[in-house]
Amino acid sequence: MLKMENVTKLYRTGLVETRALRDFSLVVEEGEFVTITGPSGSGKTTFLNVAGLLDAFEEGKYWLDGLDVSRHTDRDMSRIRNEKIGFIFQSFNLIPDLNVFDNVDVPLRYRRLPAKERRERIERAVAQVGLTSRLRHFPSQLSGGQQQRVAIARVLAGDPKLILADEPTGNLDSGMAREIMDLLDEINHGGATVVMVTHNSEYAARAHRRLHIADGRLVDLERITPLPLNRLTGEARQAAVPAG
Amino acid sequence: MLTYNLRLAWHSVKRNPMLTALIVTGIALGVGVATPALTTIHVLGQDPIPQRSGVLHYVRMDSWDPAVPYPGRGGIPTQITYRDMREIMKSRIPVRQTADFQAALYVYPGDRRQRPSRETVRMAFSDFFPMFDVPLRYGSGWDKAADAKPEAVVVINDDLNIRLFGGGNSVGRIVRIADRDFRVVGVLAPWRPRTLFYDPTNSGGQPESIFMPFNWIEPMEIRSNGQRDGWKSMEGNPTYVERLHGSETVFLQMWVDLPDPTRARAYHEFLDAYVREQKKFGRFQRPLDNRVTSLSSLLAEWQAVGPIFKAIATISVLFLIVASLNLIGLFLGKFLARAPVVGIRRALGASRASIFLQHLIECELVGLIGGALGLLISVGVLSLLNKGSERLTHRPDLFQLDVTMVLAAFLLSLAAGAIAGIYPAWRICSIPPAQHLKNQ
Amino acid sequence: MEFGPIFRAAIRHRARTLLIVVQVALSLAIVANCLSLIRNFKGYMTHESGFDDDNLVWIVSEPFSPAFKEDAYQIASIDDDVRRLSAIPGVRAATTTGFLPWAGGGSSGEVRVVGGPAIKFRTQWYGADPHVFDTLGVRIIRGRNFNAQEYEASAERRTQFSIIISKALADLIFPHEDAVGKRLEDPDRLEVYTIVGIIDKFYSPYGGWPIDEYALFMTDRNFTYLVRAEPGKAAGLVPVIERTLLRANDGRNARVKTVHELRSDYAYGYQLAVMPLNFVMILLVVVTALGIVGTTSFSVAERRRQIGTRRALGATRQAILRHFLFENWLVTTVGILLGLGLAVALNIGLVTLVEGAKIEWPILAAGVVLLWTVGLLAALGPALRAAQVPPAIATRNV
Repeated sequence: MLKMENVTKLYRTGLVETRALRDFSLVVEEGEFVTITGPSGSGKTTFLNVAGLLDAFEEGKYWLDGLDVSRHTDRDMSRIRNEKIGFIFQSFNLIPDLNVFDNVDVPLRYRRLPAKERRERIERAVAQVGLTSRLRHFPSQLSGGQQQRVAIARVLAGDPKLILADEPTGNLDSGMAREIMDLLDEINHGGATVVMVTHNSEYAARAHRRLHIADGRLVDLERITPLPLNRLTGEARQAAVPAG
Repeated sequence: MLTYNLRLAWHSVKRNPMLTALIVTGIALGVGVATPALTTIHVLGQDPIPQRSGVLHYVRMDSWDPAVPYPGRGGIPTQITYRDMREIMKSRIPVRQTADFQAALYVYPGDRRQRPSRETVRMAFSDFFPMFDVPLRYGSGWDKAADAKPEAVVVINDDLNIRLFGGGNSVGRIVRIADRDFRVVGVLAPWRPRTLFYDPTNSGGQPESIFMPFNWIEPMEIRSNGQRDGWKSMEGNPTYVERLHGSETVFLQMWVDLPDPTRARAYHEFLDAYVREQKKFGRFQRPLDNRVTSLSSLLAEWQAVGPIFKAIATISVLFLIVASLNLIGLFLGKFLARAPVVGIRRALGASRASIFLQHLIECELVGLIGGALGLLISVGVLSLLNKGSERLTHRPDLFQLDVTMVLAAFLLSLAAGAIAGIYPAWRICSIPPAQHLKNQ
Repeated sequence: MEFGPIFRAAIRHRARTLLIVVQVALSLAIVANCLSLIRNFKGYMTHESGFDDDNLVWIVSEPFSPAFKEDAYQIASIDDDVRRLSAIPGVRAATTTGFLPWAGGGSSGEVRVVGGPAIKFRTQWYGADPHVFDTLGVRIIRGRNFNAQEYEASAERRTQFSIIISKALADLIFPHEDAVGKRLEDPDRLEVYTIVGIIDKFYSPYGGWPIDEYALFMTDRNFTYLVRAEPGKAAGLVPVIERTLLRANDGRNARVKTVHELRSDYAYGYQLAVMPLNFVMILLVVVTALGIVGTTSFSVAERRRQIGTRRALGATRQAILRHFLFENWLVTTVGILLGLGLAVALNIGLVTLVEGAKIEWPILAAGVVLLWTVGLLAALGPALRAAQVPPAIATRNV
């Protein structure tokens, strides 16, 4: 699903050049649930930005779902983000001026889907996260957990193949956090690839694979659970072990 | 508390000079446009002769055509007929009175090298001079005896005095006017009133060059050079004097000095009685409508301030309001960027009201700075206006800022500051303190 | 474009939206009324009179010599003056008349139809010689001009007059008939006026009465003259005319002025009034534009995180640009609709002060177009900046 090869990302502030990602290589198979842990400043956020095509990188290559997305126009990257990637942010990032329905609607609008299909997708997604009764509510009227669920509904409505989650439970209490994690599991079982950045080792342990970033490099590789079965063939898939 | 807030405001103003400059400019523009506009109205609406405008009264009577009313202001003739003037001047009720009109006569200078010139002449009675506080430099007006004869005397203005006699005290000198010699008994000081308040039919004009006793009208057959309105012709081939006594043409302005209400009432009754008498002779067939209007009321009634000025002034003030509204966004940005600081203050115990007040004072401070700049702009605009309007007003300095207008500018800038600042100040004080302290 | 969500979001942010709505509405109201006033004033300044204004010269003869007391002397002097004026090189026509175009007043009188109802018509009323219409540059469209006998008759006392009136007056008094040959009289029925001709155009503003287009000419001599010069020569003829007249008769003063100058005197007041209106309009547009830039910039800055999120969700830069421009257009349009109402309301008040300043559709349309354009241009900067907000902002957690 996701393959990065020797990706380097630089930040230049004045005369100081920081390498946020150094020679970063990673392969994530379709259907995997991968968590990434690491100290602050290690490059977790940068990795997410690069993986999610939110930011460009200077060296290396990146394949997403078989397509080389290393150097693309903003227009193409936006389209790929829209169709293939779903984001879940630590601070939910719901648009405060819009109600739940309109918030979930946002990515669908950029896909130019007809109104009827949009409405169906939205209602289905919101039902899946259990918030149908709050369809017309505004974010300020929802709890943190509910807001994050709306964000997940926003992801579900678009049915992306890759989901990038940035500390999705970081701003939630344990009860709500567990609900969110259950939802993420559910989505993953539905076939979507999930890459989650987290501090929480308990949640990190729920993944197929656990990665660790330090100083912009991928450090540890830990297989926790067996690889998911290929849905069509029923065969276990081979994990590619990159060098370094 | 006020000085503390002012100090805070001053620091805030200094900290962001670009933004402050923008806001100050906006307010300065608004004040700089509205103040000159209001000044024009203020100047034009000023009472030209406040010490007398309450006691001087203008007489009007409706001697007009029974079939259709007089089409001018007020619906009744603005002047009176000769025959009516002669009759009502017999009344002893007014303390002083005069009837007058403008004529044009030729003056033949003693110096043969100068060509004769056609000069404006105000035919008036002796009371005219004290009634209207006419400024005399040399000599004086004439007396009632000179009125009656009439004596061959005149008062001339300073410009004519210079042209005929080179200036200086020319009392006693002779000047030939029309077909006879007149003796100068008085010379006016330079006199350029903003409006010709003694002649409501010619308020934009300037005082005449010559003032002559009224009773020369018949022996010299002097005709009016000003507004004359009539609705009825005379039969046959009357002489000029016959025409004066028999015609319904109005061309005279009648002023009476009535210092107290008792006299005013008595005079009104006198006029009414006169008109009722005249109705018996078939005149004054319209409904009885005599008006004895004080000068101040007349000025108000006849809108000394032209409607065009009022229209422009309205638009200028609206502009100030719009300019101030446009600044709300700027103040909003400025204040909300400071939200964390305000949050700390609130956490330390500042009430909503004190935060509101602090920011409102800052707005007013900026408003006043803008107002000061706006005053400078006003001075410039007014001098441009004076230059441009000199052709019409004959005065190079008609529109000036006085204390009232500076005060008005001050109030306008406070208003602008308030309009621009109230909402932002309310916004900044309404956010709960906790919100500012979080790092989001 | 996502009309629904944008509209709903704008309503949520009432204050921000209301600010621009009110700014735009007030600006439209003021601009429309300024334009209306300017159009009204320009109308006074540029009204067609139907005369050859640019080439006309006005002369006043001010006699002071005692010789002028004799009627015969006066007549001879006037006739001589007109002859000499016509003979000056560069002069197309000269006439003696009491009429002066663009004087703002003159003389007027009332007439009624002989044998008709007792309705009186007020009209401007002037004496002239038969050359007056050639001099003014108007055509006699029905009937004929004055003849020499009618002109000579003016030296005597008479009760029968031949008159020539303007078409507007003819249409007013005789709406369905040919006015030539009809007879009018004064309200006291002492004189009879027979219409012998009708001129096509006449306009001279007359204060106090609504008779700008109504004129009645009869034959008469006057000490005022009008001269029609060949194109471009009017100003140069002024000193020549003065010299010619003074040489002919020194017992009088001659004041000469071009009608062009008189007309610009008349228009000067309006010119003076137009300047501040133009000035205010331009300032207003600038101030409103700046206000929209300020408010929109603030709104964009407030929503940076939101913009980043949208970009993360797949919005292209163009989509963000379109979003903000559309949002601005929506709010501006609401402001314009409100402004149309305000413009009309303000105009009702304005018309009580300045009658002719009633607002009309083309002016409102012009104001609408102006404000739409200003709104768009003002929002462009902030919208472009919004489009540049990087998607990576969405993942920032500060």
